Parts: sequence; C-alpha cells; structure tokens
Amino acid sequence: MARRPTTIETLAIAALALWLGGCGPADPPQFQLNTEGREPDSIGRSQREAILGALDRLYGTPDEPGVPRDVWLDLDRLRVAAGPTFGDEQGRRFGLYRGHCARCHGIGGDGAGPAARLLNPYPRDFRQGIFKYTRTASGAKPVREDLEQTLQFGVPGTAMPSFARLADDDRANLIEYVKYLSLRGETELFLLQVVVDEDEYLPLSRSMVLEDGVLPLAELWEGAADLVVTPPPPPPVATREQWLASVERGRAAYRNEAARCVDCHGPEGQGDGEEEEIHDDWNKPKAGMTASHTRELARRFTLPVQELRPRDFTTGILRSGDRADSLYWLTHIGIKGTPMPAAGPQPGVPGPLTPEEIWHVVHYIRHLAGQGKP
Amino acid sequence: MRSPLPRRFSRRRFLAHGAAGAGAFATGFAAPAILRAADTWGDLVGRFVYDGPPPERPRLTVDKDVVHCGQYDIRDESLMVADDGGLSNVYVYCRERRLDLCPELEQSADEQALLDNRNCILVPHCLKIWHTEQDLFIRNSEPVAENVAFSPLGDRPANIVLPPPPAEGATATWRFGRPQRVPVPIVCNYHPWEIAYILPLDHPYVDISAADGTFRIEKLPVGRREFQVWQERPGYLITERWPRARFRVDVKPGVNNLGTIRIEPAAFEKG
Repeated sequence: MARRPTTIETLAIAALALWLGGCGPADPPQFQLNTEGREPDSIGRSQREAILGALDRLYGTPDEPGVPRDVWLDLDRLRVAAGPTFGDEQGRRFGLYRGHCARCHGIGGDGAGPAARLLNPYPRDFRQGIFKYTRTASGAKPVREDLEQTLQFGVPGTAMPSFARLADDDRANLIEYVKYLSLRGETELFLLQVVVDEDEYLPLSRSMVLEDGVLPLAELWEGAADLVVTPPPPPPVATREQWLASVERGRAAYRNEAARCVDCHGPEGQGDGEEEEIHDDWNKPKAGMTASHTRELARRFTLPVQELRPRDFTTGILRSGDRADSLYWLTHIGIKGTPMPAAGPQPGVPGPLTPEEIWHVVHYIRHLAGQGKP
Repeated sequence: MRSPLPRRFSRRRFLAHGAAGAGAFATGFAAPAILRAADTWGDLVGRFVYDGPPPERPRLTVDKDVVHCGQYDIRDESLMVADDGGLSNVYVYCRERRLDLCPELEQSADEQALLDNRNCILVPHCLKIWHTEQDLFIRNSEPVAENVAFSPLGDRPANIVLPPPPAEGATATWRFGRPQRVPVPIVCNYHPWEIAYILPLDHPYVDISAADGTFRIEKLPVGRREFQVWQERPGYLITERWPRARFRVDVKPGVNNLGTIRIEPAAFEKG
C-alpha cells in the first residue's frame, strides 16, 4: 500500500509547484532598455518612458512585433519568429526566435541570454547593428546570404550551431527577426543619445524619430546589396606544385609589413602576435585603463569584459569553416566590430593587398589549418 | 582618390533649394540668393578661455613601432590650453537641420577634409566635415603602416589599413552617409595612443575653436538658432550658463559676437 505523504512533504510539493508554476499566467516578456555602459540610475524615469514608449509605438513588443512606417521588414515573417513557442493545427511552428535563439542571444537580442555568461565569445548583441562575417564592403550591413550562411553552417569554434535542419522558410523568418532586433536596437541607441545624452526636451517629435532614428538606418540595410565584394577567380591550385607555390606567395603577403597580419596572428599564424588586450566593439568599452578601472566599469555592463584572441590558424578551426570563399571575404573585408581590418581594395580604399594576394593568403591560412590541399 | 558619385545636388538639398527657389519666383524672379547675402546671413564669433592655469599635458605611452614613433614627444591632446588661456578643440555647431545654405559657402567648400597620419599622431586632432559636400581624405605620411577606425552611430563603420607611402593604399577616401549629433572618435588599432575626432554634418554651420580659443561660424541664416557645444574631455560641455551644453542666439546680419566665454576647470572633470 502506498504511503501517504507527510504534512511537511505535502507543503514542500506545494511550494515547489508554486515556485515552478507561479500563481497565474506569467506577464508577457518586454524589451528591456539598453543600459550598457551607463550608470543604471543615470536615466530618469521620464526619459526611460519616452524611449521605451517610442520604441513600443514603432516596433511593438516581443509577443506582438510591429514595423515602422516605410520600413521593408516583413511583418508576416516577424510574427512567425516572435512570441512564445507553439505549433498550430497545421503543424506550423511559431516563436522560432524564442525556441532557438533567445537562450543565448536574449529575448531582446542583447546577446545576454541565460547561457551567454558561460560562452566565449559571447553571443552577438544584435542591437548595435554590427555583424562580423559579411561579404559586403567595409562597414556595410550584411546581405541576406551572409545571415543565411551563419544559420546554415554556424560559426565554428563558437557556441553558434548550425540550423541547417530548419526549413528554409523558418531560417528566412529568423533572419527577418534578427534584422528587426538589429534595427530596433539601433533606433534605441539613437534615442538614448537624443533623450539621455543630449537631454532633449520631451515629448520627442515622432516625425524626427522616424526621419532621423529609423529611416536612415533602414536605408543602410537596403543599400547593402550594392556593396557586395565579388572575389575574382582564385589562382589555379589543382596540382600540388601550384598549391605550394600559392601557399608560399601567401606566406610572403601575410608577412608583408604593410598588411600587419603578423602583429596579431603571429609570424607562424598561431595567434601569438605582439598585440595584447584586444577587444571587439562590444567589449572595448568594458576595458578600463587599469584592472581596478575595469572592475569599476563592470557594474555598467551585463557581462564581464572578454578579450579577443586572434585566430590560431594551426588549430584547424576557422570561423569560416572550410569554405574558401568565406575566408576570402573575411580577409578582404575584415571582421566588422573587431580590430581585424580590411586587407583588400574597397570603394575609395585601395588597401594593402591585391585580390590576387588575398587569395594566396587564403591558401596559406588554409594550409596552416590543414585545409584545401589538392 | 575622388569619389565617383555626384553629390552636388542631394535630394535633401534639392528640396531645400526648391523651396528657396519658389520664394524667389514668387517675388518676381528678383535677385539671385547670392546678392541677398549681406542681409540674409550673419557670422557667429567668440573665444573660449580656460578659467585656470593651463593643465599639464602628460606624455603618452608609445610602445608600438618604437623605433620610429619613439622619436616624437607625443602628448595628451584631450585638453589644449594656450598660455593665455585660449581653449582649442571646442566644437560649436548649429543643432538645426535642413537650414538654408548660403550659396557662397557651397561654392567655396573644399571637396575634401584631410586627416593625416603624421609624426605618429592623427592630424588634425579635431575635424569637421560637411559630408554632403565633402569626402574624408585620409593619408599616411609615415614609414610604417597605419590604421584608421571609426564607428559613427547608424552609419557605416570604417577600419582601414594604410600602408606606408608610396604604396597606392597610403591614401583612402571615405564618404559619410549621414550626419552625427556628436563628434566621432577615430582611432588607430596599431598605435593605441592615436586618437582624433570628426563631426560629419549635413550643413557647414560648425567650427572648432583654434589654438587661441577663437571660433567663427560663417554665413548663418538669420533668425533664432540653437548651438551645441562639445569638447572631448567631458563630451557635452555643460556649464552653469549652459546646463544642456547648448545656447540660443538670435542671429542678425553681420557679426554676432559672443565675446569671451570662460569655462571653469570643473567643467572638464566629469565624463
């Protein structure tokens, strides 16, 4: 015969159920104000309300996204990606972002989801509108294919996995939602500058917010396709002799003092160059002049400062995976949001290496990584 | 390298001129705007003075490319005060956008604003650019490779390598896509002590105080205008007189002289 639970056990089970389930339906999640780099109490209540109110009117909420007037975002796709996860009677899945991305990237795309603190590098904070791996010229936004590639293949050597198993349409929905979070985040930065830094008089002009804080940012995304860098055909490397000759030329270009690859990646590509304490754009503001200054700054940020380690190519793990064209773009264009600059020519910027030299460098790096040998 | 895209008639300016042109048409196709300049435009002048003894400029740590850069006496440029108190590198700029433009300013504007890497610093330390009229021309005059990186809010960030001359890549041309509300820092990832600032605006109504602290914003459209004041140490230059780091002036034809503007040292201690 089953033993009846004791009073203490009953109370413990009830408390556990209450703790797990709460007393009623949970409040819908809200976007949190981006306070990165600021003293938490430096933003007044009316300023906070003005910023969040403007964002709410323009972009809606995590459960019910909206699209600002004259912006190209596809609301139907956003609605599939947003909100809580569930499936309908036709078997369609909703809440894709929360199901697949929010654990690392956070509900609002702040790159500070529950798992983020454990990861190195941290998940991308979409709100600055900067994406590292693109095929578009210096500083330009990514094109859809760039984000698709990241979802398809993941980012080797990081916690970003491949989402190749998702349906093409679902990846397209997620890409739209990432653009949405990014655009919203940049509008938020604009509003923080106007409302908090400039201490602008409230209420804000809605037309000013749209014309200066939304539409120019949306135009940058629209214009990205015009800035795609097309790699020339690679030099022939079908034979072992051709391959080794290209690798050798790549080694010479890599060590060319004008390109300064060695400064960070070291003379043999082992990530041991003389540059120290390198940070990406997300972590640079967290790094103080001294250790105590860094500790003092830490309270202004969600996650502790993280140093950037230049890639050690000899580990065989490249962010571009084993795709030579991706490695070409990464070398020609650089890695946005990091000190890795563009080595190749771009509009108005000749750069230190020619496209042909970049292909040789790509072959040299692949050689170091144990890739591509014919 | 000159940028290939035409810029003389951007959409926004075309619209602004269209409105002005309609006004001229309504008055009987009277005089061209340039003849009306004397009573339509006014200059704003003044002089910033640091109200205390000139601060020390500490020597900066030069630990990269030491063989070359170590030969220079490189010092902090974040607060530059002349012996007589003249305060340089203070930005004063009109906060309004879509202002009427004096035709003379358009005709006389340089096609480029120059940023030079020279003596292991960025020169000038503070610059302005009328981005709808001007490109940023960046030059490396050093025997070592340089880098120029900046991230304007909501515009394309740059991260450019400039090999030493005579390589073709020793110069670069950059176009800003939108105005900024505050100057943008420019850094060199190779030489961490190197820093400069640039303020892209879609109008020419800005000046940076010179070594003697003086500034002059020429040919402002007459009327009530609001100006922002910014200096790199505190950012927005907040004073008792300017709690929002801005001031209003009813610009009249001719010279509008603000006189000497004394800034307490305490204004530079925050930020």
